[in-house]
Amino acid sequence: MAEKPKSRRNSLAAGRKELREVVETCDAISERKFNPFFMDVKLGVNTLRQYFPYWENFDDHCLDAHAINRLSEVVRLQNTQLKFQSSALYADPDFIVRKVERMSEKRLAEVFLQSWHPVAELEHLTEGAVTDALGYWNQLLPIEERWKRREYARGKEPSSVDAKALAGLGIQGEEFGKQLIRLWNELRGQYGDKHAPVEYWAFVKGASYSDTVQRAYVVSFLVTYGYAKLRQEGEQMTLVPEDQPSEKAPSGGVSFPIPIPRES
Amino acid sequence: MESGQTQTKSFYSDKLKRAIHLLVFRRGKMPGAKEWELKEKIGRNYEQVLAQLNELLAELDLEVKKVTEPRSEEMSTDAARVGEDEARYFVALKGTMGVKEAKMIGWRIDNLAALSAALAFLISKQGKAPREDVEKLLAQKFGRWKAVTLADIFLRTGYLDEDDAGIMSLGWRTRSEVDLRALMTRMAEAKL
Repeated sequence: MAEKPKSRRNSLAAGRKELREVVETCDAISERKFNPFFMDVKLGVNTLRQYFPYWENFDDHCLDAHAINRLSEVVRLQNTQLKFQSSALYADPDFIVRKVERMSEKRLAEVFLQSWHPVAELEHLTEGAVTDALGYWNQLLPIEERWKRREYARGKEPSSVDAKALAGLGIQGEEFGKQLIRLWNELRGQYGDKHAPVEYWAFVKGASYSDTVQRAYVVSFLVTYGYAKLRQEGEQMTLVPEDQPSEKAPSGGVSFPIPIPRES
Repeated sequence: MESGQTQTKSFYSDKLKRAIHLLVFRRGKMPGAKEWELKEKIGRNYEQVLAQLNELLAELDLEVKKVTEPRSEEMSTDAARVGEDEARYFVALKGTMGVKEAKMIGWRIDNLAALSAALAFLISKQGKAPREDVEKLLAQKFGRWKAVTLADIFLRTGYLDEDDAGIMSLGWRTRSEVDLRALMTRMAEAKL
């Protein structure tokens, strides 16, 4: 008698797991990751039927309904594929891939040109385009003014620097490595045993603006190379040090520019 | 009688001019004119006007084409499925052009080859495939970096389309300009 509830629990858990797998497979087919006939719809329906008596709550029934919905989508895709295969446009994708690999670029271009009928069109000025152009022209400064601005913006001409100079600037070499470790230790110290995330601006703020920029620059390396994590919650940014840094830029990372205002 | 005939001719001539202006001069993002625009500017008999225009354009190796957005995922070249209100008319080359002519209008041979490969691959996948699959195919032939650039070029020019999930499909320009059936037949027949 004690066995029955346990087995029922197992079936419930197994059923949920299987239904989720059915939904995931159907989703992958909808996203064109697999051929629609990869899914055995009959088996899927039998799975739903098998576990239906075990469903207890509303979520289980929702999952069941969702699985039916996804299976019907697969049936629709199978139908579309069959229609497509019976049309003149059908070609095996592997056959096309092999053809593309083996055909010369010129031959591929010729194949396209023999079925291409480009649209004939003329681009011309419209009333809106003329109005935009006139607005731009009226706002445009005289050429002398623009050259003056360019001279001002040009700044110092680019020149070469050696490794020693870069190390002196704290950009390269052991010096920079030391700066990274020093700031990382400082961050770990502030994070401490309380494991409270450190507020970004409070951490990077230095005695002067150039100090702040320098600290923010080093922190960006800490974050990029896995020494710390930068989290954003609303307008607040916090830093959390990593105990075991990966020392590699993570794959799939994103750039996150942080402007540093003068008042910081 | 004679004055009546002259009136009919000038009436059509005026409409023909309006029709060709609407079809050839680009006003928005896409070339050509929508059906409702033609109805509004030319009148209810716009189809007769377009038929007459077609006869004139045929001598110049051009033709008026009617294209519509597909309503479902199913790929079809069947004209009967065209949604009347969504149709767009434009003028296109009736025949085809050679490699030299294509170069003259600014196309590189390797770009045309890549477009040919990408379209044939997408058609074989029923018109849709993940972007990474398309890039992988192009990368085998043209290199990884160029494959990404080529995919972007085809998206920008409207030959391909991409949704938020990164699924690529045939763009409006492909549906308008490329004879898909001819492309697949020639691809299958092509000697290596």
